[in-house]
Amino acid sequence: MPVFSGNTPGTSSRSQAMSDGDAASGFPSPSRDYFDGRIDLNRHLIRDITSTYVVRVAGESMTGTGISDGDELIVDRSLTPRDGSVVVAVLNGELIVRRLRLTGRGIVLAAENPDYEDISVSDPAELSVWGVVTRCLHHV
Amino acid sequence: MRSTEEPVPVAGSPAEAAAAGDTSKSAGFCTGTGAARPGPLQQLHRIALVDVNSFYVSCERAFDPALAGIPVVVLSNNDGCVVARSDEAKALGIKTGEPWFKLADAAPHLGLVQRSSNYELYGDLSSRVMELLGRYALWQEVYSIDESFLGLAGTAEELDTQGADIRAAVARHTGLPVCVGIGTTKTLAKFANRIAKQNKHLGGVCSLDTMDPEVVETIMSRVPVTGLWGVGAKLGKRLGALGIRSVADLKAADPALIRSRFSVTLQRTVLELNGTSCLPLEEERADRQQLIFSRSFSVPVTTAAEMRQVMSIYAQQAAARLEREGQQARVLTAYAGTSHFSQKAASFPSVTVRLQSPTSDPVVLTRAAVGALEDSILEGVPYTKAGVMLSGLSDAGAQPVFDEFVSAHEHRHIGELLGKVADKYGAASIGLGLAGLSSTKPDWTMSRKFFSPRYTTDWDELPVVRAR
Repeated sequence: MPVFSGNTPGTSSRSQAMSDGDAASGFPSPSRDYFDGRIDLNRHLIRDITSTYVVRVAGESMTGTGISDGDELIVDRSLTPRDGSVVVAVLNGELIVRRLRLTGRGIVLAAENPDYEDISVSDPAELSVWGVVTRCLHHV
Repeated sequence: MRSTEEPVPVAGSPAEAAAAGDTSKSAGFCTGTGAARPGPLQQLHRIALVDVNSFYVSCERAFDPALAGIPVVVLSNNDGCVVARSDEAKALGIKTGEPWFKLADAAPHLGLVQRSSNYELYGDLSSRVMELLGRYALWQEVYSIDESFLGLAGTAEELDTQGADIRAAVARHTGLPVCVGIGTTKTLAKFANRIAKQNKHLGGVCSLDTMDPEVVETIMSRVPVTGLWGVGAKLGKRLGALGIRSVADLKAADPALIRSRFSVTLQRTVLELNGTSCLPLEEERADRQQLIFSRSFSVPVTTAAEMRQVMSIYAQQAAARLEREGQQARVLTAYAGTSHFSQKAASFPSVTVRLQSPTSDPVVLTRAAVGALEDSILEGVPYTKAGVMLSGLSDAGAQPVFDEFVSAHEHRHIGELLGKVADKYGAASIGLGLAGLSSTKPDWTMSRKFFSPRYTTDWDELPVVRAR
């Protein structure tokens, strides 16, 4: 049974628990005790489940920082973007990933690939940062 | 508890109504929006109602910025009719319940964008909002998929700040806009929420303690009584015949008269408008959109094993209710919470589960409810409340009479269904368990043509960000 919230967006670890007849009948599965120590990626990669989302990258403009076409990014919407943060920003009704640069001459959405141009944001009111990228799940 | 006073149909002032009212319950009358204002440092306990503005539409917009600022509607099961509208769609005169086929031709000219109901998305975002709200509250009552009552404490000024903080946090964590209404009772919190919603300059937060009492009185005298929680058009008409037309009229009415002419429920509304809290904090409720089964415990639940039992019982009761109503649910939310007496161990887990297909099967619902909270319950933490919410409800269609001697799977004619699907889509399209499935999405139960991706619940449908 697919499960989609709590600590496990997009993973199937909960589905194991849910298809487990033991749980439904009220008897804790004895195997649980032995598996408490297994690494839980949700615990290590997700700071706050209420504000964390996974998005998929389309395009090459960030390859210089290790973000490739088709990679998944972990995005925390509750973090405050700073100079140098890799962010998901809203531009012309579209979500784009860029590095945020707060320069003396204004805000820049910098590309990490020489084939792409930086985007200068003339009016800060036009820019909305959707979230801050915390991890890249790169396909090797 | 009938008052011994003579009924006064519409009294001139709240004080008069209080004097004429049910004396056994009038102790709290002066704590409302009347003259007795709390001092600036007085610690107040208040109720907040937080709800998401145009919830379904806002969920769609959270992942598709192109939908911002344009008219958007969300359609019901099978794309039948409008169930949610953006402000821009409301401005076009589109009504809730309007059949889509009447709008479809005009939509492109109106710039109107439509979406099918994406319960997976709404359910997940609802869970996030509820869990987040719980962190700000002394206690929490999830009222519906997009509304929650919260217990707040602080000075009048602090309550204002808390309201603004809550609003900012939900926007930051989920991208969803909420309004916060704060008052001494649920009815007043709901009314304050309405004021916040209709007066944009308030910034989405309205706390009756810091509002000018004269302004509150004026608003109450202008808002028709049907603008109140639980007062429908029919009841409004009957009240109108007694000269009770505005919220202020009802507030000033004699509670005893209201009880004798109408109901205890409406009497409670009168008392609540005057600041006496009398609506219980838990109940079983159902409407066309959702069913909630939620209770507080007299003895706290402190172990995961006990919580499994609680969830199991609630899920089965909810299932029985669905069966009675001839409905099926698509999404289940299980939640629990600690009381404000144990602030050190505050925990408000809320987990939403997508059911594989719409169901009212007690076995399926129980497993979902028990499994959903399995990893979120902290051992040793005293939980004082828990609930199960079913949403994405639809009519089950023609069902045979429930027979408890027939197994759950038999009574749903699984065999017959398998045959039909196999005939139509080929033998590999369906099977029991995982057998013979050619695709992972057996979504043959509903027509949802304008379906947005399941952004947060399906690895294959994640939001796409452009690196361009």
